[in-house]
Amino acid sequence: MANKTLSRQQNFWLAPVAVTLVVALLSFFIEEYFAYVATSWLIFGLLGLSLSLMWGRAGLLSLGQTAFYGLGGYAGSIAAINFSHLTGNTLIWALPAGAAAGFVSAALIGGIIFYGRMGPLQATILTYVFTLLLWSVAVSFTTEIGTAVIGGDNGLANIPSLKLAFSKDAADLQVKEIFLVVLFISLAVYLALRYFVSSPFGIIIDCIRLDSVKTEFLGYDVRFRLLAFFSVSGSVAGIAGALFSLWANYLNPSVFSVQEALLVPVYVLVGGLGSLTGAFLGSFAVGGLSFWLGGGVAGGQTTLIIGICLIVTVLFFKKGLHGGAGVLLSYFKKKKESINRTAKVTDLAFGEKSLDFLTGHFLDVSPLTLATSAVTKTFGGVRPVNRVSESFLPGKVRCLIGPNGAGKSTFLRCLVGSHKIDSGKITLGEKNISRMESYARVQSGVGIKMQVSQVFSEKTVLENLWVAAYSKTGNMKAALSTAKGMLAALKMEQRRHVLAGNLSHGEKQWLDIGMVLCLRPAVILLDEPAAGMTDEEAKSLSSLMRFLAKQLTVIIVDHNMDFVRSLDADVIVLHQGEIFARGDMQQLAKNEKVLDIYLGRRKNVRNI
Amino acid sequence: MSSVAILLIATLGLAVIFGLMGVINLAHGEFITFGAYAALLASGWGLPFPLAVGFATVSMALYGVLVERLIIRHLYNRIFDTLLATWGLSLVMYQAVVLTFGSVTPGIGMSPANLSVGDYSVSWYILFLILVAVFLILLTGLILTRTNYGMMARAAIQDSTMASAVGIESGRINTMTFALGSGLAGFAGAILLPAFPATPSMGFAFSIKAFLLVVVGGPVTLTGIVSSGGALGTIASVVANTWTTVLGDIVFLMATMLLLRIFPKGISENWRIKL
Repeated sequence: MANKTLSRQQNFWLAPVAVTLVVALLSFFIEEYFAYVATSWLIFGLLGLSLSLMWGRAGLLSLGQTAFYGLGGYAGSIAAINFSHLTGNTLIWALPAGAAAGFVSAALIGGIIFYGRMGPLQATILTYVFTLLLWSVAVSFTTEIGTAVIGGDNGLANIPSLKLAFSKDAADLQVKEIFLVVLFISLAVYLALRYFVSSPFGIIIDCIRLDSVKTEFLGYDVRFRLLAFFSVSGSVAGIAGALFSLWANYLNPSVFSVQEALLVPVYVLVGGLGSLTGAFLGSFAVGGLSFWLGGGVAGGQTTLIIGICLIVTVLFFKKGLHGGAGVLLSYFKKKKESINRTAKVTDLAFGEKSLDFLTGHFLDVSPLTLATSAVTKTFGGVRPVNRVSESFLPGKVRCLIGPNGAGKSTFLRCLVGSHKIDSGKITLGEKNISRMESYARVQSGVGIKMQVSQVFSEKTVLENLWVAAYSKTGNMKAALSTAKGMLAALKMEQRRHVLAGNLSHGEKQWLDIGMVLCLRPAVILLDEPAAGMTDEEAKSLSSLMRFLAKQLTVIIVDHNMDFVRSLDADVIVLHQGEIFARGDMQQLAKNEKVLDIYLGRRKNVRNI
Repeated sequence: MSSVAILLIATLGLAVIFGLMGVINLAHGEFITFGAYAALLASGWGLPFPLAVGFATVSMALYGVLVERLIIRHLYNRIFDTLLATWGLSLVMYQAVVLTFGSVTPGIGMSPANLSVGDYSVSWYILFLILVAVFLILLTGLILTRTNYGMMARAAIQDSTMASAVGIESGRINTMTFALGSGLAGFAGAILLPAFPATPSMGFAFSIKAFLLVVVGGPVTLTGIVSSGGALGTIASVVANTWTTVLGDIVFLMATMLLLRIFPKGISENWRIKL
């Protein structure tokens, strides 16, 4: 069950292994030259795979894959030239060196991109600049490392060929043997990556692509995960580079050229973005096309046709070759889903029974006080949060109300850290969290639901809950049982396999709230949770919140006065970023000043 | 100073397209190349240099209309797909030039005699380019602020839904923007012809730097590229003059990375003046 739920297929290795074996068999019947060329397609497929991983899964189009590939090639061949006489075998030197070079260089660039919180376009450009930089350096860079001579534009020659045997006089492998070795290495890398992307780590990377802000609000360190993922993708490119150098026995700076850099996304696009198999499909399709057109690996006059193919692919085949095959399958899936969509939600979420689950769920969560002192946030000349000092304790629900632009949502954002405060102090229990990143605040016990509900649209309802629960438990099974319990409490069991993107507005709100609860936060921040809910649902939400507030700190921002009244809350009125009034709703309803700012009268308040 | 001017002339078309459409045109370099060859062709017919430049500008603007209608239009809001499609286009255009004019032409230079300021030495031409750059930036600025088209285009990029709600036909505006950008690219190729002889790969050298300037410049393109171009161009040319061109390029790229690190969304991310 666990496997099906998290879309992990137990037998994912069967088809690739079968295909590999068939290709291996076929290779005995093809010409030597063809096998030689096809080896390069495999290598480019690996390179494409490294991009497919990054672009399709993590959502970053990296034009630096050839840089990692080239560096991997240089590092791998330097290692092979210097050390292979010790063992005879060249692979055990070149591959690790290549992978390490790719890993380190990707980590370097990734650090700049992710820790600088760069925009997607800027990140793509940075990787591109990195490739160009390496190219201009490599062209004029000459040095000797051991017996390896890097000759700038002349490149690096005398790279030993692929040898497997461990003896000093090991013979070079035959062309077809090299093909087979590369084929099986590709298979191994492919399977490892397939396993990797279906692991919890891979699922979280998926979530980052879908909504990185929400992923961070679930307590995941998005930057670090992306960095790690990017480094892995870099090491795959490095392995491809090392294989390339052993295959070609020669490397020159053209591996860093712009043409190479942009060819990689072409493989991925042609094959189909997001599918790991697609990278190989793409490299074989593009490589095969060039080969058939008579250019062979050397390129030749095929630029024109490749250019046209690229335009056509982008315009007409959004999902590439691999995606084309998936169209039929998804047609059937959609049909099934549409039946699911008509399923009615009969029961309301969080009835009396569901509260029992929550009691157990929050059993060992100890109450925490969230306190702010003189918190101030300024945007240009506007000061939406101005010296707000307040303590939020469990016991009663706390509500923030105020006219539009009063600074309510900004205040919540300051609390969770998506805005960094300019001055003041925020403490959670004893801890000063003023300067912490969002994910660290969430890990310390803050849970937030933003105004617009955030769910991972391409994941099922259960997966959404699981990702949230996994953040807290770090254990797949425990997370699954939490997620299932929450699913039952939400009364959404019938909808467990529906993609979250297909839920109605109100259902998304509930799911989002459920995800926040999965985190077992000591402090819950909700921004307009009742929006889009029916009156019945709002009542149910209100009783849930009153229930939770006995143990947890609950802060709700809302405009719906009936809802706020039903919460029986301690209300704070914000006005122009400052605390304007406090009290319960009965008191505030009699407060002439509060009525003034809400209705825009000028009887008692100036400066509206 | 002159290298900054050249850089800005070559970048402006790309910047206009990026700033007003959110589209990165990777074929920008080839648009410049086409412009240069168009000017050559025109002067081959006996047209004087200013007219040849005009011909290149107009014909590239028309070509821009064609490209926008056939390709760009279908890829709105898919910035990386546009990136790749225009890269495909650049390959096609490059190959077209190679097939038409040959691949190893050393460059069909235009003798300075064709130039109306032909009596003057090269430094006058450089001075002339600086004036052209200033004039071009002012002109573009005026087009964007003082004409109906400019107002509508800037409205469309800020909020396209709202813009269409008040009756701005964003498709037509985008076609005009792309035409303007392509025209500027064609103009750049033509006006730079005396200094940069036409070769099939001439656009390439410009496009990378132009591309980086725009991205470093950030969302407020016009003033953004003036500042990023000023900064990067000056640094690079000082280094190139003191040491070698290669080192100049390397410093250019390093400075780009540094600026992107400091301003992750571009220099002009937080500017108040949105032009």
